[in-house]
Formats: sequence, C-alpha cells, structure tokens
Amino acid sequence: MSRTVTVNDVQTFTYGEEFSLLDSMEEHQIRVNYSCRGGYCGSCKVKLTAGKVKWVQDSLVPLEDDEILVCCCVPDGSIKLAI
Amino acid sequence: MAYSTFNKVKNDPLKEPMFFGQNVNVARYDQQRHAIFEKLIEKQLSFFWRPEEVDLSTDRKDFMAMAEHEQHIFLSNLKYQTLLDSVQGRSPNIAFLPVVSLPELETWLETWSFSETVHSRSYTHIIRNVVDDPSIIFDDIVDNPEIVKRAETVTRYYDLFIEMCSQYSLLGVGTHQINGKQIEVSLSALKRQLYLTVASVNALEAVRFYVSFACSFAFAERAIMEGNAKVIKLIARDEALHLAGTQHMLNLMANGQDDPEMVAIAASCKDEVIEIFREAAEQERDWAKYLFKDGSMIGLNAEILSNYVDYITNIRLRGLGFDEIFEVRSNPLPWMNAWLVSDNVQVAPQEAEISSYLVGAIDSNMEDSDFDDFDL
Repeated sequence: MSRTVTVNDVQTFTYGEEFSLLDSMEEHQIRVNYSCRGGYCGSCKVKLTAGKVKWVQDSLVPLEDDEILVCCCVPDGSIKLAI
Repeated sequence: MAYSTFNKVKNDPLKEPMFFGQNVNVARYDQQRHAIFEKLIEKQLSFFWRPEEVDLSTDRKDFMAMAEHEQHIFLSNLKYQTLLDSVQGRSPNIAFLPVVSLPELETWLETWSFSETVHSRSYTHIIRNVVDDPSIIFDDIVDNPEIVKRAETVTRYYDLFIEMCSQYSLLGVGTHQINGKQIEVSLSALKRQLYLTVASVNALEAVRFYVSFACSFAFAERAIMEGNAKVIKLIARDEALHLAGTQHMLNLMANGQDDPEMVAIAASCKDEVIEIFREAAEQERDWAKYLFKDGSMIGLNAEILSNYVDYITNIRLRGLGFDEIFEVRSNPLPWMNAWLVSDNVQVAPQEAEISSYLVGAIDSNMEDSDFDDFDL
C-alpha cells in the first residue's frame, strides 16, 4: 500500500520510508522550511488537511489541532498538506 | 502573601495555574498540568554539555591573525553574549520561582537558568583561550556605553517584576504606605507585568541571541574561529528550547488554557508586546552599526545583519500569534540553517554525525612520521 503525499493540491509524491516527512519532501524536491530537525524550533510547521500521521519524534512546539512538524512525523496512509 | 518553601496546604497540582497559585510543595514529575515543560526538561537534560569538551586551540591562532576591525566584531559580539547569559543565568530563577505554582514549570525554570550558567562558563572558556588577559574583556562589559545601553533594556522588565513580587510577598494585596510612598499591590498588575516580562525574555532569547549567533557563525563560514562556532552551536541548540518555553508560557496565558484571568490581560498587552519586539529590533540594528563601524567582513555587514534582525523578529512575532511588522520575508542568511540543525535527531547513531563524537578525540595534526607504520 503506497502512501501518497499531496502538497497544496499541486504536487504529489509517494512516501518512501524515509526517517521523516521532511526527509521525504526533500528527496522529492519540495521546498519546505526547516531549522533544528529535532522538533523544537517550529520552522517546519505545516497544516495537515487530510489523513493521519505517525509521530517519530516529540514536538516541543505549540501546535494547533491540524498542524504538524514534518521533521517529526511520517504519513500513516495517504495525506494532504498545506504549506 | 509570604512565600513558603514547602506549602503545607494539600492541593491538586493539576489544577494550579502556572503562576500566582499556591507555592509548589512536592516536586513530582509523574504527572503534569502542562506536559510540555516536562518534555523541555528532559530535552534540555539530554543536551547537557561542558564547555571544556570543545577544543579551541586553532581559534587562538585565528584570532591573532584577524584584522583589528574583525577582532572588534568578534570581541564585541562575545561581550554582548556574556552580558545576556549573565542576566539569564540568574533572572528566570529570581523573577519567576517565587510565584510559580506547577512543579514541572518550577523545575523547567531551574533547568533553563542552569543551562544559561553553562553558557556563561563557555564564554570564560573562549575568552581564556583567545586572549591573554580576560579582565580586559570582562571589565569592558560594564565600562562600554554601547553594551551598558543594551543591559538597561534587557533588565528593565525583570527588575520591575522582581520588585513588584517582593512587595507582594512582603505586604500582600492592597494599598500600603511605605516610607511615605503609597504602594498598590494587585494581582492584575502583577499578572500584567508577568506577561510583559516573559514577552521581553522571549525577545531576548529569540531575537537578540539569534543575531549574536549570526555573527559567530559568519566567522566559521570562512573557516576561522571554528571552535567558538562549535560552542555557539551547542548554545543555540539550548536556546531553541528556551524560546520554545517562553513561547509556550505566553500562548498558554493568552489562549485560556491556564489562568482564565490572563486571557484578557494578555489581550490588553498586545500593543506593548509588539513594541517590545520593535524596540529590540531597533536596538539590534543600532548594535549592528556599532559592530561593523570599523569595517565589515565577507558574508556579513550591517545591512545584511539588519535584514536578518527584521526577518527573525517577524518569525518570532508570528510564533506568538501576532502579525509581522517588517518587510523582510525571506531569510537573508540561509547558511545559518546548517549550524542550527540538531544532530540529536533520534536516528541510529551510525547514520548521523553526532557532535559529541568530535570532542577533542581527533588529533588532526599529521606529520610524515605518522605514516611510518604503513606498508603496502
């Protein structure tokens, strides 16, 4: 079962078992902000508009219910993001 | 209300507000009202480092070979960082511990302040390694008017809050006559000053410190003062947690997830908070002019640094839910990111380049005789 990631309803790629969504987005040349890659700076915050994610690192940053840190999670099924 | 070191009234710490509830009694970390502070403590403890781990031997040579105006940039920046961490190594404790009501937040304050003292120790380590007489540097921090100017702004909010809390602790709420002066002590005034003080601390850590980091990393981008940059990289890693901490405090106060009275107080402080950040940015821009008054360097000058000030201030205001106040939208110093990346990411150690492995363990001085044992 391939996990598709759609960004801003424009770009789509398949998540390929990278450590994090951030790593995966970089592999597929999607531009996204990052700084600490450790869940504590908040630079890579994006909105999760559809689907669910699994957290692989703790987030130490305030997040709304629909926000995720892409350095800290991986897709759990297909998902849609808004940057 | 007098402070008690072990408040004997049994209370439910999960119901206390962050501040101005009951004094903390049992320090327990198995449960939290606000789990984020426990996570911050754990992360900060895991980041613990000692300045002596970083080898500064090549920095001394680099410093002596630098042009005079570059030495001015390096030393002035270092003096400013020393001032900031001198303040931060004591102030969160002194200002906030007497009025905190949650064990996880009380311990976060202490962990945070403690880590700032490690930063202060690291500046002594750097100064000792780079100059012959450290006193020349340290004394200038209180002598130099440019640096003293910054000290006034960064301590103003802390000092007033500490004074108000002392009055609260000694006199309690109400109107009092002390030495012929009338003193009003009210919880709403205290909570207002608390909010503004935390905002000014956020500006200190999230804006002022980051501007100083840019200078430190700019040297290392040219492959000089790299030991100093390694120290600053470790400091920056800690500061990211500290600013997350104050950001959380401010957001929890403003969004009603903590003390419900704080919501209206936070809303009424909005303009003043924006002014705190605007003033900090303006001061940092003036400081940039002072840094580069005798000449700039490759990769950084007063204008680029001023743009960075505007950029980072915007980001920090957005992090608090405010609108941006400056024009600069994109990062003028994209190379900073490489220095701010955490190699503490939870991957298998063999997959990541962990900076602790670089602790003085490699002797990079090679001579021909080192190859004597090699046979082909």
